[in-house]
Amino acid sequence: MRLTKTVAIVAALLAAAGTAFAAGQKEGAAQAPAKVVVKAMAYGDNSNQEGVNWVRIVDSFEKENPAIDIDYEMLYDEAYHQKVAARLAAGDVPHFAYFGADARWGAPWKEAGQQFDHKALMDPSYYDMGLVPPMGPKGEIWEIPLGTSNITTVLYVNEALVKSLGFQAPKTYADLVKMVPAAKAKGLDVITIDGADGWAWGSCFMSSIIARVSGDPAWVSKAVAGTYKFTDKAFVDALATIPQMLKDGVLSEKAVLVDYGANISAFSNQKALCMIQGQWAAGGIEPAVAENTLMMAFPALPNEKAATAGSVAAAIQVGYGITQAGAKDPAVRDAALKFIKYFYSHAETTQRLMDGAIVAPILKNFTVPADLPTINKRKVALAQSAKSTDVIDAFLGGAANDALNAGMQKIASGASTPAEVAAEVEKLLRK
Amino acid sequence: MRRRKGENLLTYFGMVGPGLSVFLFIVAYPIVYSVWLSFTDFNPNRGGAWNLVGLLQYKTMVIDPNFWHSLSNNMIVVAVSVFGQIPIGFVLAYILYRKMVKAQFFFQSMVFLPQFLSTIVIGILWKRLFQADGPIARLIQIVSGDPGAQFDLMLKADTVMYPIGFALIWMYTGFYMVIFLANLQKIDTEMLEAAQIDGATEPQIFVRLILPLLSGTVLVSTILAIAGSLRGFDLIFALTTQGLQRNNAMVLSIFMYQTAFQDFNNPSRFAYGSAISNAIVVISVGLIMMSNRIGKLLNADEEY
Repeated sequence: MRLTKTVAIVAALLAAAGTAFAAGQKEGAAQAPAKVVVKAMAYGDNSNQEGVNWVRIVDSFEKENPAIDIDYEMLYDEAYHQKVAARLAAGDVPHFAYFGADARWGAPWKEAGQQFDHKALMDPSYYDMGLVPPMGPKGEIWEIPLGTSNITTVLYVNEALVKSLGFQAPKTYADLVKMVPAAKAKGLDVITIDGADGWAWGSCFMSSIIARVSGDPAWVSKAVAGTYKFTDKAFVDALATIPQMLKDGVLSEKAVLVDYGANISAFSNQKALCMIQGQWAAGGIEPAVAENTLMMAFPALPNEKAATAGSVAAAIQVGYGITQAGAKDPAVRDAALKFIKYFYSHAETTQRLMDGAIVAPILKNFTVPADLPTINKRKVALAQSAKSTDVIDAFLGGAANDALNAGMQKIASGASTPAEVAAEVEKLLRK
Repeated sequence: MRRRKGENLLTYFGMVGPGLSVFLFIVAYPIVYSVWLSFTDFNPNRGGAWNLVGLLQYKTMVIDPNFWHSLSNNMIVVAVSVFGQIPIGFVLAYILYRKMVKAQFFFQSMVFLPQFLSTIVIGILWKRLFQADGPIARLIQIVSGDPGAQFDLMLKADTVMYPIGFALIWMYTGFYMVIFLANLQKIDTEMLEAAQIDGATEPQIFVRLILPLLSGTVLVSTILAIAGSLRGFDLIFALTTQGLQRNNAMVLSIFMYQTAFQDFNNPSRFAYGSAISNAIVVISVGLIMMSNRIGKLLNADEEY
């Protein structure tokens, strides 16, 4: 009997508390409008500038826009690509995300039918539409690039170190070969590359070499489309550059064991005269070394064609874009666009430029800061002067691209020949 | 009476229902879905259309050289686990149990320590040790006197599993050591003392007493090792770099992942990936059944 009484009292108290709580909620709901929740997939992590900036920007945006909640998931590198594939397959599509328009950064979104044309929604008084390249077959703009073209094949040259050995910045491949004995005597590498990363061989090296050797800046896209074959002499000759560089001592035999971090570290610690990487690596070089670093196209090869002399490979820069899922609800779409505009503000874009994360902005009336670090000024100069060619993994994807990347590592470690690798890529591509 | 039966049935379902629902939705449904998926060409990213393709994905799998390469690497991992981690773990546990070393708690903690670390951290740690001019390369350079010498076993398809096997032993031996130690502590010490009084030597005690008594534990450990080895993904994935290294060290779970999540040129990649994961399950069950059979033949029953 006593137990029944106690239960009844507790139930009454709970009911009263629930009623009061519900009333409070109702009151609160009447006061504040419902938040628009925008689901995002961001690129970065807590240890890099991209991630740190993202968190800071979201925090300040949400303070200024209390009615919008940016519900994000931030991942970096391979983890990001894994999660994109998993989320899309599961139907858990973010409203906006970091992606691109090519075979590497755009393929999963394209396959899932989530690409959305931003052209009509981009404010032409804010974005310089002349700097935003068309990405789809009808000129669609699938994402708002963080900057202009993304140069993937840069030769970073430590000018001070090169001069200390009695040389000038290399203009031809022969100049690099001449540096080998002096560099070896000092225990230095002539060129360092993160050869343990398969993608580095394709994105940062071979993309430029195939255009130089073939004389066609669009050789890769044409080969993927079927105009050329990967077994053509031009491509096999381009691949043969790798064993030649190893034979000449321009590339070290250990190159294929060096990963991205070790590569930047070797160059920053002045253990190599030159480094092969993309434009984005400029921000990772020690400032003192960066001050003396030139950013240039790969020196002239003995078998290169005049049409593509001095060229660099460049892809459309990745950036943030709304998905079809995000475009469905006008409130969500507008909130996402508002955030993206905030994220691309002049102040944030200036910061990105200063950090070396982009080549040049796509904003209208943008004033380049006078105190831009020297290396970033050189990056802009390279982008303005060099002819652009295709980046391999912007067009070649899946197993064929994996076979090419691993194949170049096999060539570098003496486990395969250029002809064998070319045949494997061609076979997988046409399967 | 009938009402009573009905009430019992209601209580029964009330008790069993929640657990059964969780099992059906979280365990049974994905298994059934995966089996169904492997017989179709369904790609969730391409709308809802799908066709039954019979054994096509399995046929593609068995003629894919990557499958056999991955399977052979998996068998190496299984062998390292069964013939490396378990015997070493057993011997270490025996040494600690018989108090053959001082500072037992310290050694026990040190061997078990990797179990407290994230697998990804361990993978990155070993990757750093093996990298160009890394600690192991430096050691080789000092010993050989060749400043250019490098640790290049990770580069070659026929040697890549040696360093990986070493890392696997380092990581998991402590786990088996603790299992054996816990079971050794259950053994009646009077039996061992009696053997000693009867003049049995330490190796005789180990081979004729301890080993038969713990044969059941060996069998359970073997089953755990086989199942763990075939689904193992994280350590090898973190330890290798994307490209040649990972291709050389590819095991079935990595092959499945690369197929399903990265090969955008294959429109039925999710179905193909499902076929690979089902193959992992079938191979695991086969190996575990074989272990059980061997265990029964060896009379692996524990009586303390």
